[in-house]
Amino acid sequence: MIIGIPNALLNIKYRDAIQEFLHTIGITTVVSPKTNKEILDLGVLNCVDEACLPVKIFHGHVEYLRDRCDIVLVPRIMKLHKNEFICPKFCGLPEMVKYTLDIKNIICPTITAYNEKTLKDSLYDFSKTFRVDKEKFKKAYNGFKSNIYKYNKINSSRSNLRVLLLGHPYLIYDDFINMGLIKKLNQYGVEVFTEDNIEPYDYTYRLIKKPFWTFLRNTYNCAISLVETGKIDGIIYISSFGCGIDSFSIDLIKKDVGSFPYLVLKIDEHTGEAGVDTRIEAFIDLLKRRAKYEYNISSLG
Amino acid sequence: MNITFPHLGNTYIAGKVLFEGLGVEYTIPPISTKKTLEIGCLHSPDDVCLPFKIMIGNYIESIEKGADTVLITGSCGPCRFGEYCELQKKVLMSLGRQINFIVIDEPSKIGIKEFLNRLSSVAKESKLSTYKKAKALNMALKAINLIDEIEKECRFYAGYEKNKGEFSKLLKEVKKEAIEAKGAEETLKVLEKYKEKVDRVEIDLFKTPIKIGIIGEIYTIIDSLSNLYIEDILMNLGVSTKRTLYPSWWVKNTALSALKINKSPIYKEAKQYLKMCIGGHAQECVGEAMLNYKMGFDGLIQIFPVGCMPEIVSKAILPDIEKKYNIPILSLVVDEMTGEAGYYTRVEAFLDLIEGRKKVCI
Ligand code: SF4
Ligand code: SF4
Repeated sequence: MIIGIPNALLNIKYRDAIQEFLHTIGITTVVSPKTNKEILDLGVLNCVDEACLPVKIFHGHVEYLRDRCDIVLVPRIMKLHKNEFICPKFCGLPEMVKYTLDIKNIICPTITAYNEKTLKDSLYDFSKTFRVDKEKFKKAYNGFKSNIYKYNKINSSRSNLRVLLLGHPYLIYDDFINMGLIKKLNQYGVEVFTEDNIEPYDYTYRLIKKPFWTFLRNTYNCAISLVETGKIDGIIYISSFGCGIDSFSIDLIKKDVGSFPYLVLKIDEHTGEAGVDTRIEAFIDLLKRRAKYEYNISSLG
Repeated sequence: MNITFPHLGNTYIAGKVLFEGLGVEYTIPPISTKKTLEIGCLHSPDDVCLPFKIMIGNYIESIEKGADTVLITGSCGPCRFGEYCELQKKVLMSLGRQINFIVIDEPSKIGIKEFLNRLSSVAKESKLSTYKKAKALNMALKAINLIDEIEKECRFYAGYEKNKGEFSKLLKEVKKEAIEAKGAEETLKVLEKYKEKVDRVEIDLFKTPIKIGIIGEIYTIIDSLSNLYIEDILMNLGVSTKRTLYPSWWVKNTALSALKINKSPIYKEAKQYLKMCIGGHAQECVGEAMLNYKMGFDGLIQIFPVGCMPEIVSKAILPDIEKKYNIPILSLVVDEMTGEAGYYTRVEAFLDLIEGRKKVCI
């Protein structure tokens, strides 16, 4: 049996781990290629109009895989932290895929993984479909764990222009959707921080209520931590139109950081690359000017 | 302290009964109009969903009338509604006024005790005995049930009435009289009087009006400003409409869920499509669609705000119900930019389609 793994949404982050897990069980996998024009068009054509770009692209990946494998993996990720949720669209993803693409050969394990035990249970339930014995499952599980952090980490060289890049992992790590944003920033000589290479403090005590979205808590903490400790010169937030969670976090952060340089890039399938480039350039210019100005002040005083 | 709360259908009548029963000062926001929405949009982030914007408009209009404490219900489900209070507080604080917030959460999430605690911070203001306070709460519950019941009957039997326009007239009158009545008891009396009146309106059960179920995101289907008065329009066209999601339904449903004895048939029907709660009211939307189909409705109208996350999932599912059970479904997506002309044309075309099908059936 061949299982197809759509290379989109959070699968981008856990792709290697899932592959290792399935290989150990003895299942062949095929991963869809990086998002490209064909996949984007497939998604936009088939998905509900109102959905956000990442979800449309996920549909494109599934559509791409449907005839190239026996069964497509569409995980239903419920929780990755205790008492928090990901996004309603993640919970309802299998249903969306099933009814909009009219596809029957999908497998949809429910993943609730806020600690070691729940992760193990979720994966065990998933593996039951393939009648795996305990020994083998243990090995597969260890394979999963040791590969969990192996997705593309960003290395950018140190620089005195430092930018925090916020956004969902599937926007940051998909060069096609974000139009090579990270590469562009590196070309400008900017050092890029992302959620994955910093250790944020918990600033949620500032809010009247603990956020119940994992994405929201993460981005908020990252932004506030780095701004408070003066580790960055600016924030770039990449988001997709129609993302309900970002509509909140963008403004929560904006209201907290005040006049700190903050660029919000919203994208959908109609966004033109030229426009984005101009905005990035202008933002970098602003940062450079600010840096120079501050330098002048300190040398005088 | 002068409490205010956002509009949600008929809740303002229950709010009036509750606060008058408690003897607490309160301000009912002016009925939402285009202006409310404009004010709301001006102060809200662009991308938040429509309910957020209208609520902000309500708050600001109330604050201008003298309110200083805002009551907001949050639900902790995985949807934006539960996150509202945070950003709404920040928005209102940036207006530069001193405003207090009371967040009332679902009892099943924060525990019954904390729920009562927060409620009592409202009740503290009132100098009545605990017994009287409980009575006020009870009266408010009665009021919301009565007014919702009246509205439901008017809207459903509108298609069957003998003298055209009777139900719609009654519905307008009851709301007006209830809000003008002095004191909690008086208001309840008005409601009871109208309940009887509605029951006595002559209907012709041999008629076969078009019957439409209204489903979708709870706020937009309840709030007539955001759905561009769809129910009134259908009512005037002699169409019978039914919707289950009323504020009184929400109260009952949350109470039952807190006690874990919720056996509403909606969830049973939704199961074959959506097994778990994904946030918002997607499950209810799908379950309602199935129920309405089984009860012989002619069509369904789904309404939700632009960018509404759970309803996008149900919108993906509905075409399958439409195909499998052969029931027409119209999805309307609304926001502050929705144009009336295009909107009504779509509704009319939908009604024509149903009419055509009905004739063929006979
Ligand atoms: S978190 Fe935002 S971008 Fe991601 S699926 Fe949900 S709505 Fe779409
Ligand atoms: S259900 Fe829809 S309208 Fe309601 S809070 Fe969620 S996204 Fe907004």
